[in-house]
Amino acid sequence: MIDSVRGCKKYFNYILFSSKSKLKSEVASSYLNALWLVLNPLFYMLTYMFIVEVVFKRAEPNFPIFVFIGITFWDYFSRLISCSVNVIRDNRNIVTKTYIPKYVLLMVKSFVLLFKMFISIFIIFILLAIFRIKISFNVLLLLPIIVVMYIFTFGCGMILMHFGVYVNDLNDIVRILLRFIFYFSGIFYSITNSLPPIAGNILLKANPIAFFINEARNVLMYHQGLSFYLLIWLIIGLIICKIGLQLIKRNENTYIKVLR
Amino acid sequence: MKILKVKNVSLSYKTIEKNDFKALFSLKKVTTFQALKNISFSLEKGEVLGIIGQNGSGKSTLLKTIANVFSPNEGTIEIANNLKVGLLSLGTGFDNKLTGYENIYLSGMLYGYNKAYIDSKLSQIIEFSELEDFIYKPVSTYSSGMYSKLSFSIAVFLEVDILLIDEVLSVGDIHFKEKSYNKITELIKKEDKTVIVVSHSTSMIEELCSRVIWLHDGKVKMQGETTEVIKQYTKFMKNLKK
Repeated sequence: MIDSVRGCKKYFNYILFSSKSKLKSEVASSYLNALWLVLNPLFYMLTYMFIVEVVFKRAEPNFPIFVFIGITFWDYFSRLISCSVNVIRDNRNIVTKTYIPKYVLLMVKSFVLLFKMFISIFIIFILLAIFRIKISFNVLLLLPIIVVMYIFTFGCGMILMHFGVYVNDLNDIVRILLRFIFYFSGIFYSITNSLPPIAGNILLKANPIAFFINEARNVLMYHQGLSFYLLIWLIIGLIICKIGLQLIKRNENTYIKVLR
Repeated sequence: MKILKVKNVSLSYKTIEKNDFKALFSLKKVTTFQALKNISFSLEKGEVLGIIGQNGSGKSTLLKTIANVFSPNEGTIEIANNLKVGLLSLGTGFDNKLTGYENIYLSGMLYGYNKAYIDSKLSQIIEFSELEDFIYKPVSTYSSGMYSKLSFSIAVFLEVDILLIDEVLSVGDIHFKEKSYNKITELIKKEDKTVIVVSHSTSMIEELCSRVIWLHDGKVKMQGETTEVIKQYTKFMKNLKK
């Protein structure tokens, strides 16, 4: 693991430059350019507002912010997970021609998504101001939540990246799983208020994404502190990262022998 | 000084017949193909080594193994400390969606150079590649000739310590072919570069290389002084045609 951190330093210039260029090319190739980074989560927010507030009439107070926080975290998680399966295949051009530690490729993706997430978080702060929700120092606690989520997601991504090389239909499996997790993560409803207490409690402990979103809302909207469980997810995340790194290190130079 | 030692390297490809979820649990459908068998040689600093052989004899695989793209199943490859090994083949690891300009930086950074160093080489690379305005367009818009022009320029000007050349001189128009051939001979003769050349052109190997390895079915059939090996190789190829 320490080895990989050192490797990270060596390839850090590459990771930064590559993710910056990727963002730039993504922005340049679409019609509305950078505006999409803002419009995309906003339209999702409007959709959920319509469904939950108008159709079901069960919205939480300050629902737009509530839902926007959920979307922000979910987008990061689901996008990294679903693209991690194909990372090696998508980069076959690079992988078959030069040596590159394979986790670097995933890290480039994660940096691109992280940047998009920070734009979303910036919008959250604008929404907080519009809805006149007091911003307290608790907001700073958002940072450890993001760090733990990053580590956890990255670890899962590495493991999926490894198996994605060998198993073609992993893509479909991951897509179905993600859709399943989506409805159990409390993105447009409050797990604590809408579910029976026992079920809610179990969900918040067993589903890390539901947990991260709930923590972020607590910190941003309700001025609460962090839960002790964040530490546990940090440890689990680090263990998954270690497993993923080992898996990749042992196999990375055989990946292209399998790719066709 | 020996800067590259290849010891008893064997490598096999695994191909999985059906890449589905079941294949994960039953490894029955895996077929292996032995591409390199027990290959050993070493390389002195400043030496130019040629590799010849028929199609499918394992030449490109050997180069890729030295460049650490593959890892050998058996045997070791030792490279003297911290030397940069550059594999020059059609399209050095480009990210197709990004511009040629950005790819110059990315390729350089993969070799371990910092931005300032690449900055200092940038104008030379762009000029030699003759891409002009295309350098600011995504690589996916390039023709195959432009692709190899850019990859050639990058590998040559970024000054890797061991240059691996894989048939790259057989592409591009006559003018660029000549220009790149001259550049390579200049590198070999003036700058004392260590080079491994893979080529089907025996005349080119004869002119550039001091020593040749002849690969056949993944094994070293013969290695030694250029004229001798080439003589045997041409004889062998002629017999094949009959």
